[in-house]
Amino acid sequence: MNVFDPEVLGRCMSCGFCLPACPTYALTGDEASSPRGRITLMRGIEDGTVSLFDPAVQEQASMCLGCRACEPVCPAGVSYGLLLEQWRDTAWRGRDTPWLVRPLLALTRHDLVLRVLGRLRRHARPGPRRHPGPHLLLGCVERVLFPGVSRAARAVDPDLQPGRGPGCCGALHAHNGRLGEGEAMARALGDRLPGTIVTTSGGCAAHLAGVLGRDRVAELSEWIVRRGLLPPARTGQARPRVAIQDSCHLRNGLGVSATIRTAVGAVAEIVELPSARDCCGAAGTYSLLRPRESARIIAPKVREIADAGVDLVVTVNPGCQRQLRTAVRRAGLEVEVVHLAELMAGQR
Amino acid sequence: MTGRTAGAVDEQVIDRLRDAVGARWVRTDAATRRAYARDATPLFDAEPDVVVQPGTTAEVAAVVRIAAAHGVPVVARGAGTNLCAATVATHGGIVLSATRMDRLLEVSEAEQLAVVQPGVTTTALATAAAAAGLLYPPDPGSRAVSTIGGNVATCAGGLRGLKYGVTRNYVLGTEAVLGTGEIIRTGGRLVKDVAGYDLTRLLVGSEGTLAVLTEITVALVPAPPTAGYGVAYFDSLADAGRAVAAVVGAGLVPATLEFLDATCIEAVESHAGLGLDRGAGALLLFGDDGAPAQVDAALATMVTACRDAGARAVTTAPDVATAEDLLAARRCTLPALSRLGSLTVLEDVSVPRPRLAEAVARIGDIARGTGVRVGVFGHAGDGNLHPTAVADGQDPAQVAAVHRTFEQIFQLALDLGGTITGEHGVGAAKLAWLPRRLDPAQLALMRRLKAAFDPAGILNPGKLGS
Repeated sequence: MNVFDPEVLGRCMSCGFCLPACPTYALTGDEASSPRGRITLMRGIEDGTVSLFDPAVQEQASMCLGCRACEPVCPAGVSYGLLLEQWRDTAWRGRDTPWLVRPLLALTRHDLVLRVLGRLRRHARPGPRRHPGPHLLLGCVERVLFPGVSRAARAVDPDLQPGRGPGCCGALHAHNGRLGEGEAMARALGDRLPGTIVTTSGGCAAHLAGVLGRDRVAELSEWIVRRGLLPPARTGQARPRVAIQDSCHLRNGLGVSATIRTAVGAVAEIVELPSARDCCGAAGTYSLLRPRESARIIAPKVREIADAGVDLVVTVNPGCQRQLRTAVRRAGLEVEVVHLAELMAGQR
Repeated sequence: MTGRTAGAVDEQVIDRLRDAVGARWVRTDAATRRAYARDATPLFDAEPDVVVQPGTTAEVAAVVRIAAAHGVPVVARGAGTNLCAATVATHGGIVLSATRMDRLLEVSEAEQLAVVQPGVTTTALATAAAAAGLLYPPDPGSRAVSTIGGNVATCAGGLRGLKYGVTRNYVLGTEAVLGTGEIIRTGGRLVKDVAGYDLTRLLVGSEGTLAVLTEITVALVPAPPTAGYGVAYFDSLADAGRAVAAVVGAGLVPATLEFLDATCIEAVESHAGLGLDRGAGALLLFGDDGAPAQVDAALATMVTACRDAGARAVTTAPDVATAEDLLAARRCTLPALSRLGSLTVLEDVSVPRPRLAEAVARIGDIARGTGVRVGVFGHAGDGNLHPTAVADGQDPAQVAAVHRTFEQIFQLALDLGGTITGEHGVGAAKLAWLPRRLDPAQLALMRRLKAAFDPAGILNPGKLGS
């Protein structure tokens, strides 16, 4: 078959250095659910030794979180995230698309409902048409679930113009078997919002950077540090104890993690969780598609949060925020889960 | 080297395996068989018929008994990071994965030892030892991934071989399942114990052909309080070789003596931009650990030795951060080389230390002759070098040239009084070369030994002792 970029697939030398970084390998201890094992499967799909549509092969395309934790540890620099997108782009065609994903993709594609819901939920008001930027991306998930995040981002930097029109950058589509559509949506967004696009979602940042170029995109913490928007150090006040949850695509895809700590460290005392950099199990649509694995992946993190004795957990991606908030509540912890924007705007 | 057709194992055998370890730990689906067709060895690929993940020694023994009764091959596998196709199921059968047996059973400070199950990673053991103020010295390049079971089965080496030795120097005892399904315990926790043949030593490096390891007791040493590093550049590896000879001649056994040849320096610099001297013919990374005064004295001796040997430049790291920068050059050599082509073949030969520079020079001649790009790096202190070929894996002519290159390199190592593998192992990859290294009487003895441990010939057939 001709599913994968042969240059990217050819890069893997099967050394196995990715195994200890992989959350699903940690769950199963099974080569087939490791990045190297999945790449062996991809090679098998290409040379015909396994079928793309074999249920056991499909299971591995589905079980992968797509967190890309295997990429920074890869000695050969394999772009695993791209290979996974290409895999699902073929494997999740037509009736093979997971049924839970379909309404989500449809909803974010036709954004009228999204706009109405978002407005009802009172996210930040979009700015004027044809503004030169910098623009604030009103992400599709945030509009509906966390409308306060865009208002908080505007409070941190009033110069940010909330972008008009559809908010979805297409990351959701690219990660769920609609690679071409996801890229087209990102390009359309880039045309509509010229200049720098600032996003409060790690997943959107990595997808947009991949399509539009790294220089067009800034994640909020990068923006705050770059523009010198850090609040002056507060003295004499009790600083909250804060744990950070990295965004996988932000950290593993774009290498952004230090600016988050610079920003949080300006207003709070950082308590690093041992698993701060590890996937929380939200992983886009993963927590909906595979709730059992998702719950197993977040369980040790909730124990760490309980042990750390923190006041807040700060996230930089709406999916992580939802996942952690749900898990922390379910565990009965008195810990608030907030977005970086909300912390920086002094709303927490 | 290509995939076998599955189905050689009867459904009845599969059922018995399911009864023995539980159905969810016995898998025969296409995805599982394909994923376990490979380890880290390029160009080797063979699907097992079934993958079994036992959870206890008793389950391992049950699986081996079933396999012996039906003549089904059993290939024990840790993380599959070996580079000699030791865990590729060339004869099909069962791949027996150790990943569920990953408990660290004990770290004893009083006895300076640890007891682990085979699936524990090398790094997990080293970390647990460090928490007790102890050191597990073997540090193979894949330590974050590799398992102790795999390390013992291949007698893994690492960067500290000269001063600390390799895996065999740290294995005190094992529990293992023979090819008959019998469970034996060899050695134990004692420093001195000569009751019987040293079967522990025999199992180390046996590559899963004599027994399946189910528990391992390793010796630990006090963790050295400090370490220091330096780097020297030379016009040629011959100059670096003279420096190494002077270091050893001065009575020093340093913890680190690693070299990179000009091809590696160029590749690392293009990839990582660490500010290495691109004009140099060789880079020598040196270092030692121990008490602070001892480390300082060792570094001073090594700096002098390098300067006397005509080094272009010598620097030592004043702090940990700088030392990490120096070590980065060595650590990213393989990544840097691998970016030069789709096929990376990392090989492993050893020569007597005084012949190291000559070996590297002649490897250069061989590579020029075959037209293959080969970088050489390795352990200057113990004569173990890693010629690494990079080529286009899609081009059969280039792949054939890589094979020809290594055939000449293996012969060169033997001609220099060296060996065909220092620390990677024989596996399926180098079995054909073994008769060039060992005489017929020894090979015959190995076959008889294997027959004694594994009368049915089911343990990793087609490898050592077959």
